[in-house]
Amino acid sequence: MVSTKLYTAIYVVLFVSATIQVLVEFAGLAYWTAFAVIIVLSAVKAILVAAYFQHLRFEPRSLTYLVVTGLLAALALTLAASYSIL
Amino acid sequence: MSERRPPTDTDDGTAGESLPDDGTVGERVPDGGMTDGGTTDGGTAHSDRTFVSGEHDADGHAFPSTSEIRRWLVTTNHKDVGILYVVTSLFFLLLGGVLALLIRVQLWAPRAVGETILNPAAYNQAVSAHGLLMVFWFLSPFAFGFANYVVPLQIGAKDLAFPRLNALSYWLYLASGLLFAVSFFQGGTFAGGWTMYAPLNVPTFMPDVGASTAVLALVLFVTSVTVSSVNFITTIHRMRAEGLTLRNLPLFTWTILLTVWMMLFAFAALLAALLILSSDRLLGTTYFALESPGGSLLWTHLFWFFGHPEVYIVFFPALGVMAETFQTFTGRRIVGRKWFIAAMILVALQSFVVWMHHMFLTSINLQIKTLFMVTTIGISLPFDLMVFALIYTMIKGRIRFTTPFLFTFGALLLFIIGGITGVFLGAVVLDYEFRGTYWVVAHFHYVMVGGVTALVGGLYYWFPKMTGRMYDEFLGKLHFGLYFVGFNLLYFPMFVAWQTPRRVFDYAPGLAPWHKLATIGGFVLAASFVVMFYNLTKSAFAGDPAEDNPWAYSTTAEWAIPSPPPLENFPGVPTYRDGTLSFRSDAPQLTAEADGGTAVGSTSSATPPAAYDAAREAHDEPASHASIWPLALSVGMFVLFFGLSGLRGGSFVSGAMGAVYLASSAVGGAVTFGSLLLWALEPFDAPAGGFGEAWPFAGVENGKVGMWVFLASDVVLFGGVIGAYVFTRVAFGWTGWEPIPTDPIPGLLNTYILLTSSFTVVLALVAAEKRSRMGVVASLVATFLLGVGFLVNKGIEWQHLFHEGLWLSTNVRSSTFFLTTGLHAAHVIVGLLITLFLVARAWRGAYLDDSQTVEYFGLYWHFVDIVWLFLFPLFYIL
Amino acid sequence: MLMGLRYVLSALALQSELIPRGSRTFVFQRIFVVFLVLGTLVGIVVITYMLYTAYRYRDGEDRADDGVDRPTLGELPSVGSGGGGRKLLPSFTLSVVIVISLISWTYGTLLFVEEGPSAEESMEVQVEGYQFGWEFTYENGHTTDGVLRVPAGEPVRLRVTSADVFHNFGVPELKVKTDAIPGQRTDTWFVANETGNYTAQCYELCGAGHSYMTADVVVMEPDEYREWYANTSNSSSAS
Repeated sequence: MVSTKLYTAIYVVLFVSATIQVLVEFAGLAYWTAFAVIIVLSAVKAILVAAYFQHLRFEPRSLTYLVVTGLLAALALTLAASYSIL
Repeated sequence: MSERRPPTDTDDGTAGESLPDDGTVGERVPDGGMTDGGTTDGGTAHSDRTFVSGEHDADGHAFPSTSEIRRWLVTTNHKDVGILYVVTSLFFLLLGGVLALLIRVQLWAPRAVGETILNPAAYNQAVSAHGLLMVFWFLSPFAFGFANYVVPLQIGAKDLAFPRLNALSYWLYLASGLLFAVSFFQGGTFAGGWTMYAPLNVPTFMPDVGASTAVLALVLFVTSVTVSSVNFITTIHRMRAEGLTLRNLPLFTWTILLTVWMMLFAFAALLAALLILSSDRLLGTTYFALESPGGSLLWTHLFWFFGHPEVYIVFFPALGVMAETFQTFTGRRIVGRKWFIAAMILVALQSFVVWMHHMFLTSINLQIKTLFMVTTIGISLPFDLMVFALIYTMIKGRIRFTTPFLFTFGALLLFIIGGITGVFLGAVVLDYEFRGTYWVVAHFHYVMVGGVTALVGGLYYWFPKMTGRMYDEFLGKLHFGLYFVGFNLLYFPMFVAWQTPRRVFDYAPGLAPWHKLATIGGFVLAASFVVMFYNLTKSAFAGDPAEDNPWAYSTTAEWAIPSPPPLENFPGVPTYRDGTLSFRSDAPQLTAEADGGTAVGSTSSATPPAAYDAAREAHDEPASHASIWPLALSVGMFVLFFGLSGLRGGSFVSGAMGAVYLASSAVGGAVTFGSLLLWALEPFDAPAGGFGEAWPFAGVENGKVGMWVFLASDVVLFGGVIGAYVFTRVAFGWTGWEPIPTDPIPGLLNTYILLTSSFTVVLALVAAEKRSRMGVVASLVATFLLGVGFLVNKGIEWQHLFHEGLWLSTNVRSSTFFLTTGLHAAHVIVGLLITLFLVARAWRGAYLDDSQTVEYFGLYWHFVDIVWLFLFPLFYIL
Repeated sequence: MLMGLRYVLSALALQSELIPRGSRTFVFQRIFVVFLVLGTLVGIVVITYMLYTAYRYRDGEDRADDGVDRPTLGELPSVGSGGGGRKLLPSFTLSVVIVISLISWTYGTLLFVEEGPSAEESMEVQVEGYQFGWEFTYENGHTTDGVLRVPAGEPVRLRVTSADVFHNFGVPELKVKTDAIPGQRTDTWFVANETGNYTAQCYELCGAGHSYMTADVVVMEPDEYREWYANTSNSSSAS
């Protein structure tokens, strides 16, 4: 379904974006800007791994929804709990 | 089994293909004029049926009969496991009940200092253990006894998707319960209430080893629940008979389906809370310590995020029993079935966004209080719909007040009272005053023990099916009479005496008469169970033989087969193709369909995997039903966890007991590891799914669904632990928090390593699909080496930090760093052990024809990789 | 949106005579009684209807075959059942209306309670729970252990925390209660209209001494209180 070449390309993208994350940290951006960039990069990497390495892209969508549900539950807990003490 | 059936039925498994639709059960059952529980149409009752009859083992394997002890140790059959669950949970009911009676005796009068029956510490242990035992070790397992027994029958499956995992769930449950019992003898068990609020739950305030054991027992219990949830979710979604779409699922199965979904996510959050607590207690981290910013609140968030769904987790199965029995004993189909189901789905979803209503008096802000007040009101309304659906179902019925119906009818009445008093608590202003009082105690006992009432009804309802014998109806009704009077005498006075603070035994003297009444009620309730135990024990061995279907107007499939059902459940492949249950004669037909490539079910559009499963089922050797490894593994974990309880601050307690704990950990670890290995090597064929309805997982085989469902729960586990870090950091002040590793480079290096190891796992799968043995071995070995490299790099980094004076207990920043990345490292270690196993088998040529195992392992390994992708920035950069 | 709703509601609430305002005891009693009367009424109506229906449609030997379509073994629910969902609408709508109006009504009082008295018109006491007792610190720094003295008829604001584990400070007769959490501070308030002695208790399991973790709340005549307060200084005493 996916060629080894594509797997390799994704691997390279992952490798590079991890490096960028650290570079962003040393780039001297404002804290919350850097924060947003770094988290978005992590999310992109996670989506790439899930979509291709775990080949969720080629599975029935229900499996994706299943994982997203778990993620939403964890996010609800983290965000609401953190907000409650702000 | 043929001796049990009227000769008109064709249940002869070898019948030709010309008889595909024979044995339509609906035709056999006379409509109307039947009496419940009797043997009036004696033609179908058979006196040769006994509880311990020999098995009708169509597989022809030597599987011990139910009269042998060995059978119960090695069984993986869902019906056996169901019976084990029911019996064991009733044992824990006794234990929790005795504690309840002790509490009630203490509350007979206000107890000043020196006048107590139980000393204050013992009383606290009693209330805590009573709550924990009843909620965890009695309520859900009792319901899951029925779920195990009945759900596969209702959906037309031969067994659960993973029979050995099912046995493991049971044995872990028993092991966790016994471990909890052991905790009483280790200086006293946990004494901080079933809600286990922090920081009372840490060793500073609760130093007993037994308290750690109780927490570890809960960890073990949650493991059992998670395994069970994965199993049931896979089974109910993937293994339904043809035509049994979710819309058509019997209501009891529906409630169990929603229950296990809630369990999967809620218990994962509890596991996060318990692992952090265990780490605080055993390793010395400081999440919940007094000086931790927001430690107390962190616990309440984690606990109630689990705790509120838990209310519905224990109540939904009871609701399912009510729905089934109301339909059967009124002879009516439920009113507004669609709405009933929709209401339950709504509650299940919403249960995850109401948890802060347990925290209205904490320091959370008004905005969030308002939000959670709104969601709380929202969740109460669907229940109104369900209650009225049940009441309206009785209209135009032919209501027969048999014991099961009396109990479920009574349960509905109690639930109405519990529901109305719950609305009081939804009003925040009233909640401010009810908090911590007996109003809460009375309310949740009406709801939860109201649920127990329905489940007891379920016990009577399915008793004939499970044992093949009828219980004594008079004693059953006597049980109900005593139970109902005792229940209300016990819990109603608590509403009147609501000003009593919870878990306090020195209350205002004016309230004493009400507490005396409640104590009397408690003993009446206990006495009613004596009647039940006598009735059921006697009837199980000497009751009148039960018919296949002792209840008029029952509809679900379990009543269409003998009581008790044969090992393989059905005389053919159950199908609802024609809108009613029938048994297609045999498997060859399925194979024919598979070979022909015809769609098996109407909704399963993607058929190839289904066909593949069916083909595999047909061609493989019939599997054995026996495995000793679930038991062995549970014994190992029991011993291991008992040993770990002796840890304090990262080392074992001193003295002879310390040596015992150390030895116990070593032996337990070895047994656990060994059993896992032998389990993996044991040939065992689980029943395949996808033979009928499989929405929404048609086209994905059972194993992969199971793996993904497990990973979804692991997402919540890590989400909880990472959430705990985020929450603590917010409480501390986000930007004032210095990351513990000042140097991000080791972390970056590990990110590279882990990404590369993910890539090599992908290559292993590619190699397996290309049938390259050396490719598989080489890729897996590379993965293993990279994983080891990750751990070595981490070890060096940790050693550096240690020498800088930073360790788990140094401060909350170091605690969160070491525990979160440590939990991740533990996942890596598990992955590496699996990799070793895979390498060994790949060397001998495995996985070339069947790359699934490598694929499933890859899913896990990539997940561990993804987690690191977030841990790295969160702990090293930001 | 939620915030907007809150402002509209609070504007309505604070101007309306409908919303109970006054001492904590008064607002609790008023709301509790309304809930109790309505709850009892609803409970009696529903349970009576349920029992009547069960009795009316009981099976008996004398019941002839009434021609009703009964469920059969092995049927699919969607084949047999004819819905009937519409029947649920009236009771559902009614309960939605009752519950939502009740809660909205109490929300006005919640905002009133949350707002509390202003700093000028009230006194403030710091409360710290410990295993197993309560320590009170007045505005002048005077600290007492186990006895809280307050003037009658005047609002008292409490700022509550804990020195060790999770406690909960509550005075049942005065209908004031809040969690005492280590590292956190919660605020609450009350007015005691009658002089006399009351008992504060711990409402969260906190250890072996939980049952006996009480404090006396002495409500004094305002003049008497002021006299006592004037004689205190920045020091600790047992009363």
